[in-house]
Amino acid sequence: MSDSVHETHLQELRRGTVVLACLRLLTRPDYGYALLEELNGRGFDTDANTLYPLLRRLEKQGHLVSEWNTDEVRPRKFYRTSPAGTRLAATLTDDFHTIAQAIDLLPTTEPKGRRP
Amino acid sequence: MIATLTDRYLDAAMRGVPEAQRGDLAAELRASIDDQIEARVEAGDTPAAAEHAVLTALGDPDRLAARYVDRPLQLIGPRHFLDWWRLLRLLWAMLVPLSALGVAIGQLLIGASPGAVIGNAVSVALSVAVHTAFWVTLAFAFIERSTPADATPTAWDPDSLPEQRQPSTTTRDLVASLVMLALFAGVVVWDATVGLVPGLDVSFLHPALTPWWLAGLFVVLAAEALVRILAHRAGRWTMRLAVANALVDLGFAGGVVWLASQGSLINPAFFTALVPSGGPAVSQVVGTIVVISVVVVSAWDVIDVLVKARRRTGE
Repeated sequence: MSDSVHETHLQELRRGTVVLACLRLLTRPDYGYALLEELNGRGFDTDANTLYPLLRRLEKQGHLVSEWNTDEVRPRKFYRTSPAGTRLAATLTDDFHTIAQAIDLLPTTEPKGRRP
Repeated sequence: MIATLTDRYLDAAMRGVPEAQRGDLAAELRASIDDQIEARVEAGDTPAAAEHAVLTALGDPDRLAARYVDRPLQLIGPRHFLDWWRLLRLLWAMLVPLSALGVAIGQLLIGASPGAVIGNAVSVALSVAVHTAFWVTLAFAFIERSTPADATPTAWDPDSLPEQRQPSTTTRDLVASLVMLALFAGVVVWDATVGLVPGLDVSFLHPALTPWWLAGLFVVLAAEALVRILAHRAGRWTMRLAVANALVDLGFAGGVVWLASQGSLINPAFFTALVPSGGPAVSQVVGTIVVISVVVVSAWDVIDVLVKARRRTGE
């Protein structure tokens, strides 16, 4: 199978986990670029042009609240998870665990004699 | 001061965002871009290269703006595509043949030449097809943009499944078409010998129709019957039989149109005898209707059988 097909399946699987990661990371307020770095550092591959619109959408839905911080030289918009966002994060986390358990119970497809 | 690439990028992106959100969005996006550039410069890039790389990664500003405001980047998306396509096909199937037919009848009645009749019918059919597609698509593009992104598509239930297609050559079909052909031949013979309307001693078909023309007609009718019987025996319409059927239909319709254009299909005396006051006018109208009926029925048969044959071979 070609790498690009592999990559597409991985992206499909990971879609949605970025939302969960944002909601949980933003219990501590943070701004766009710092969050982007944090996500990528923690293994959630995210592009700037996906993350910024995503933050806006979550804010519009009431899962995040935002506030401008003008204390520093460069004014930045800080996002924080709202109570509704916290509830959503809990639901998503539970669901993720359920799926992970269900996957563990699936028949294994360990390739024989191939790299681990 | 010369506008930087970032300024130009922000201008371009903000054009696609509602006025009320612009200030806030632009300030945030600028801060984010500056943060990213700064990080790259600290990693050793030149400022110009860093700016270029960051903006390249952000991508087309119109696309970014569309993501910010959840604007669809397709004319008609998957939610509405099927409804659009079904409606368009339905309207095409109704409007295009009807308008072509209407134009053809009008043209024939004002006595246009065969070339003008065909030319006008085709050009009207084309423009009706294009207009239908345009307006339906425009309406759906508006619907796409006015329905919220999380609206569900039109509900579907199994009752709307199409009926299974009947076998294309049933015995009933065969008997019906053979009876029709025999009746038609009988009426022609009756007309030539006794006269269509008993007691009125004139034939409906032109008396100048030579026996050769009538013989030709019977050959065509016999060929039609033969093709139908062969199709029934084969159990389906093969492509070869469909083409034979098309040729027979073409021969019949061509003969009728040719005779009508020569004024030697219908007996003018028939209508003068039937309606003494308006004979020629009635004759003209009836002649037109006969020609159009023959052409439409033949075309329908040709297409119907070709579609059946293609469906069978396609399976």
